[in-house]
Amino acid sequence: MSYVVAAYGITALALVVYGLRLARERRTLRRELAIEMESNGG
Amino acid sequence: MQGPPADPIARAARRALPATGIVLAGLTVVYAWVVWNAPPDRVQGVIQKILYVHPPLAFAAYLGFLITGVAGALYLVRRDDAYDRLASAAAEVGVLFATLMLITGPIWARGTWGRWWSWDLRLTLTLLLWFVYVAYLLLRTFTEGSERIARFAAVYGIAGLAVIPLNYFAVQLSQGSIHPENLERGSLGPGMGLPFLLGVLTTLTAFLFLLALRVDVGELRARARARLERAWARGEAA
Repeated sequence: MSYVVAAYGITALALVVYGLRLARERRTLRRELAIEMESNGG
Repeated sequence: MQGPPADPIARAARRALPATGIVLAGLTVVYAWVVWNAPPDRVQGVIQKILYVHPPLAFAAYLGFLITGVAGALYLVRRDDAYDRLASAAAEVGVLFATLMLITGPIWARGTWGRWWSWDLRLTLTLLLWFVYVAYLLLRTFTEGSERIARFAAVYGIAGLAVIPLNYFAVQLSQGSIHPENLERGSLGPGMGLPFLLGVLTTLTAFLFLLALRVDVGELRARARARLERAWARGEAA
């Protein structure tokens, strides 16, 4: 059972961590671009 | 966010994200429940349940590398950076799934064969496939934004496709491979078809969700880089 838990656990953890990392970068980039657009008058 | 419109691929990825995310969440719950209640294998016991995650990870990795090759070919024909970004994004997500395939496989092997690894043809070619696309990512990481490297990466991504059929059919090609044969219709035991199907559907949906997210991030990175370059150019001119 521990092998099954390890296989599914590592897979789920890796996919969630990667997804969260991308989501955070996406939010940061969108915010930075929006701020720059506003400072340049849209 | 206002500003210049994103390229059509990034726009499509952005639009697909919410729906794909909702489908993924629903599928994950059903998949977990079905795998938990799936009957244990008569020979291997509970460890056989790794079947519902290991081959689906391989299919998703293959899909990622296939998209890398096709998008690379389209980049060579049309010289549109959007295809180059798609190729790079698919390679990155594909390598993630291939890495997880290479982790879950040895875990399953340790529990059934009694050892983590065997240098038979299928496993060796899988490792080679992984190295081919890790090298692709390294190439992209150190040379981001270069058109010459983008062309080289496109050719490399297309050439890398040759390893996929070799890898898939390696079990048939090699005599006495320790790796089980590829699954065929009816080769699964009773009650194992549904969890396997759900495993494939959930993993491919997770792949598409992460790919859409990565494509969007890739386009935003390109826009941020372009703005930075314009700012530097203005600074130098002043």
